[in-house]
Amino acid sequence: MINKPNLEVEIAGIKLKNPVMTASGTFGYGEEFSPFIDLDRLGAMVLKGITLKPKRGNPPPRIIETPSGMLNAIGLQNVGVEVLIKEKLPYLKKFNTPVIINISGDTIEEYIELARRLGEVSKEMGVAGLEVNISCPNVKNGDMAWGTDAKATYKIVSSIRKVTTLPLIVKLTPNVTDIKIIAQAAKEAGADALSLINTLVGMAVDIDSRKPKLANISGGLSGPAVKPVALWLVWQVFQTVNIPVIGIGGIIKVEDALEFIIAGARAIEIGTANFINPNITIEITEGIKKYLIKNNIKDVNELVGSMKI
Amino acid sequence: MSFIYNIKVKILTKEEVVPNIFLVKLLAPSVTQEALPGQFIHIKCSTDHYPLLRRPLSIHRIDKEKGEIFILFQIMGEGTKLLADRTIGDDLDIMGPIGNGFNIYPESRKIMIIGGGIGVAPLLALCEESVRQGKEVRVLIGALRKELVIGEESFKILGVKVAVATDDGSYEHKGLVADLLEGNIREGWLADQVFACGPKLMLKKIVGISLNAHINCQVSLEERMACGIGACLGCVCKIKIKDKKEDKIKYEFKRICVDGPVFEGSEVVWDD
Repeated sequence: MINKPNLEVEIAGIKLKNPVMTASGTFGYGEEFSPFIDLDRLGAMVLKGITLKPKRGNPPPRIIETPSGMLNAIGLQNVGVEVLIKEKLPYLKKFNTPVIINISGDTIEEYIELARRLGEVSKEMGVAGLEVNISCPNVKNGDMAWGTDAKATYKIVSSIRKVTTLPLIVKLTPNVTDIKIIAQAAKEAGADALSLINTLVGMAVDIDSRKPKLANISGGLSGPAVKPVALWLVWQVFQTVNIPVIGIGGIIKVEDALEFIIAGARAIEIGTANFINPNITIEITEGIKKYLIKNNIKDVNELVGSMKI
Repeated sequence: MSFIYNIKVKILTKEEVVPNIFLVKLLAPSVTQEALPGQFIHIKCSTDHYPLLRRPLSIHRIDKEKGEIFILFQIMGEGTKLLADRTIGDDLDIMGPIGNGFNIYPESRKIMIIGGGIGVAPLLALCEESVRQGKEVRVLIGALRKELVIGEESFKILGVKVAVATDDGSYEHKGLVADLLEGNIREGWLADQVFACGPKLMLKKIVGISLNAHINCQVSLEERMACGIGACLGCVCKIKIKDKKEDKIKYEFKRICVDGPVFEGSEVVWDD
């Protein structure tokens, strides 16, 4: 009988006390959730996506609810890396939870500068690693997202790899024909881990005004609706690359998290569910522990990729 | 920002006050103690995951003695429909109180409160507080037609003067609440502060009229909202940024949930 199963996992060289992380863009800069949960109990915090310069974001409406999900088109509104370093990271230093910074850019140079700058302050400000958002449009290449092309993925990830020794997690987009090729490219370029999925591109139409419901027309779909897609992609990527995979997509209860872990996710990120239940990360962590005890599994790592076929 | 609770509260009463508009009383002592007029609570309408997101609803009345808060809402979609279907005695998962609330200046003597349609929801608590502080209060209510006039009696009980405008003229003034505000100004009843909540077009008019008359005007805004705690940046509105070179209006996106929902009317950028 197991009473205290091991929940610790290692992702990209970062030790997590449990496999439950927060998904970028759904957890603000961490502090927003401190009235509701003890941030020390999280496996890791992935903060709101940051760019080199502050970004104003898209006009509203930015979000719209859809069946079992939501579309968002925030437009990466963020304070910019310097304000992040000066005003947001100091608050998180008192917690014993790894802080992972999600980075985005319009050009390769912006990604490089972001990685360099965050590497420079990583020890002092407690930056444990970077999650690279490659779903952003490559402005110099017809706005096609970096992550939809294996060569572009390789180029962006290898360029960042050259300027930082920080653990690199590459966040993959599901809006591709074959995610395995992109995953392989990211790995070869030096990614230490992969996180997936980012949101699926979608839209919604107001039939009275015949206008798109989002001012941006398209948005990213998240929530329980995307979970089966995410699971399938996690499973494929898990079989393709031998670096840790972080599962993301519609996790709203412990069973969802367990599905991802069994399908190959070493850790999971909780996103949209944070909006409905700010305590969900803690509840899912507790739920994973209970499942391990109930099933007499002494280490969560044993469960990773244990799907029987 | 005050503390935001995430708690389950009991539904004490439920009443359909006009067709499709419900008044619900909740027993929520902790939230009630902190609540300010103009704040809202973020409600999980369903008991499962559909609809997924919470619904932000204004606090209509605050009864600190009994520890009760009231919400007044219109059925607009699946979330509010489910909420209206919840039964008395049910537990409701709420977060709140959230937002900045209205700012009544101590030096203000005359207060004008203006609500359009379901926009009257946050204004009763404001009216009660203004009366409690000894202000002279007038209330203007706008509605499409007579049956949809909300809250007239609730305001009148407080002893304030209430005037109503209906679009089709089926009750009192035919026209807009903005006409009534102009009428008050013409007659020389100049408020020190105007507070308004309602459709955007109405708010834009009210702000224009108020600023022309050099009256401070605060408006309560709404937008599609996800987290309600300032994290997702979903519910933004355009707010002017002070700029030395005033050649062009500069703006930034502010979160309605925690930076608002009440904003200075003079700072809001109204899109056409």
